[in-house]
Amino acid sequence: MKLAGNSGTNLVEVQDVRYSRSDRMLFNGLSLDIPRGKVTAVMGPSGTGKTTLLHLITGQLLPDEGVVLFDGRVVCPCSRRRLYETRRQIGVLFQNGALLTNLNVFENVAFPLREHTRLPEQLIRQIVLMKLHSVGLRAAWLKMPSQLSGGMARRVALARALVMDPKLIVYDEPFAGLDPISTGVIVRLIRQTNDALGITSIVVTHDVAETEMLADLIYLISGGKVVASGTPGELQNDNSPIVNQFMRGLADGPVPFHYPGPGYSAQLRAMSRA
Amino acid sequence: MITALRDCWFSFSQFAATFGGFQMFSFRLLPYLPRAVLRPRLITEQIYSVGALSLVLIMFGGLFVGMVLALQSYNTLVEFGQTDSLGAFASEALVRELGPVVATLLFAGRAGSAVASEVGLMRATDQIAAMELMAVDPIQRVVVPRFIAGVISVPLLAAIFSTMGVLGAYLVGVHLLGVDAGAFWSQIQDRVDVYEDIGSGIFKSFVFGVSASLMGVFEGYYAPPTAAGVSRAATRTVVITSVWILLLDFVLTSFTLPGT
Amino acid sequence: MTNPARAIDISVGLFILLGLGSVIFLVTQTLGSAGISASESYTVHARFNQIGDLKNRAPVALAGVTIGRVSKITLDPIAYTAVIELRIDSKFNQLPTDTDAAIATSGILGGKYIELSPGGDETVLQDQDEIEFTQSAILLENLIGKYMLNRKPESDE
Repeated sequence: MKLAGNSGTNLVEVQDVRYSRSDRMLFNGLSLDIPRGKVTAVMGPSGTGKTTLLHLITGQLLPDEGVVLFDGRVVCPCSRRRLYETRRQIGVLFQNGALLTNLNVFENVAFPLREHTRLPEQLIRQIVLMKLHSVGLRAAWLKMPSQLSGGMARRVALARALVMDPKLIVYDEPFAGLDPISTGVIVRLIRQTNDALGITSIVVTHDVAETEMLADLIYLISGGKVVASGTPGELQNDNSPIVNQFMRGLADGPVPFHYPGPGYSAQLRAMSRA
Repeated sequence: MITALRDCWFSFSQFAATFGGFQMFSFRLLPYLPRAVLRPRLITEQIYSVGALSLVLIMFGGLFVGMVLALQSYNTLVEFGQTDSLGAFASEALVRELGPVVATLLFAGRAGSAVASEVGLMRATDQIAAMELMAVDPIQRVVVPRFIAGVISVPLLAAIFSTMGVLGAYLVGVHLLGVDAGAFWSQIQDRVDVYEDIGSGIFKSFVFGVSASLMGVFEGYYAPPTAAGVSRAATRTVVITSVWILLLDFVLTSFTLPGT
Repeated sequence: MTNPARAIDISVGLFILLGLGSVIFLVTQTLGSAGISASESYTVHARFNQIGDLKNRAPVALAGVTIGRVSKITLDPIAYTAVIELRIDSKFNQLPTDTDAAIATSGILGGKYIELSPGGDETVLQDQDEIEFTQSAILLENLIGKYMLNRKPESDE
């Protein structure tokens, strides 16, 4: 088990992690490194457990075997206080934004500040408005989450994730269900915040086109392991079947079109007998 | 036949597991209580949502139950010429039993299910997970204020219910059925005892309040994060709370009635 | 933003006031003059052979006016009599020592209470004194039995 120091190039390291849930082996010897200051994309077919990987990084789940390191320290097992300390340095953007529905936009973004700091009201106001401005929603500060569109809600959630100036920000399917304009906005925001604030970003997504524009490094996960990694250009030129199928969106290939089962005539026979 | 038995066993063991989980949850809440006092605003908001908004239901319920009680007991009392005791009879029944029990049942239906679905929805929409990831303990912030608010509200609601019931009994008894007003109130004074009747009523409503609040937040917190899961949690809250309150009422009544 | 918060605070305040007010209402309705505290009252005992269903906190009345409450009911295991402790309002401390205490029934099916009939003695009852003259409770069954016994000779004729 190698431990990278604080000045290591990788902010997060997943080392040989095994994890299964209800008899399904999700990860079988998964290893990947998230370099500091860069945008790393984690892609893969549906159901490969990309969201589970996020949970392992944030300490919501404990790996059966193997180790997850954040900033040189093991994430879990740990005390609740240590875990919360780690989490304060990670901002998470959920698929649906996960804003608190009984608070307005301003209060939602201010929430972490109010819960964790004793900053005076003036200062909170300044910080919140600044973050809202960076996502373009400063004027929407009084709206309730139910009044926001999907894209706007996600932007508010981004402002909230950034309000404590985390070292790492994780995006869980940030482009899912957005129109092209909103998608473009999110892409721009991810890139800008990463570069302007010098933070590290992990984007979990299916979206090949967006990722190619956005990511510095891509990991492709299938069957519980990393099957390919590299820059977008490298993956485009990769000829292995699974990478090919994924990057080009082919219907059939290593990930089969037909759900595995008996042959057609065999099934007909079995059904007419029953 | 075997499957029927197996289903019975399954649902019983499920019940036992839930009950066990419920006990664990209750103990888990205990250490959070002292710190919750530092955030009175959260508790106040919940008292508003759970208590103040239930007022109309409780007041109407109390009024009508009191009125029906007067009508019903008049029927029996008039045979013995004891109609003067109407006030005492109705008041005792209200303060000791109907106030705590019915008020809590109404509370479970309106506020208990609301809390369960609120908390369940927060879980289903990842708000609880988001809080955990923002290093905010959702139990401290979401569950405990609702629990405390319920414990404070239920005894108050029970008292309001009983009072409205007495007033309802007065309206029907004196103004409708012709019971003497003076007799009505003086019989109450003579026969209803502050310590035994009102005291046991308050004690009961406090115990009921703890139970009802606990069950509401428990069902919501552990609801499966789906739409079906949340609505089932709301329904289960009402069912479980009602059954438990009625059971508890029997136990407490048999201990607090004089002469038993 | 302060206005909705203020409205909530006011509502909660009113709610709590209403609840406490209800409790106070109920308490005052059941207390009345019967809530005699120890400081304003004095205690006397009386012994009875039969108290029927006399209950604790039953009224003690003089000429039908409640002047106190039964505060304790015990059994004397040696003399086989019931010992009743009466707590009487200090305002009525002129009861002669030959006062009679009888267990009476309120109405036909009402509860039992203690009716005091004053005698003519010059000395008055003090705290911890005992009332000498008592009348036990009349049980309905005994009354009916007596009535039936008295009737029997008539039906023979």
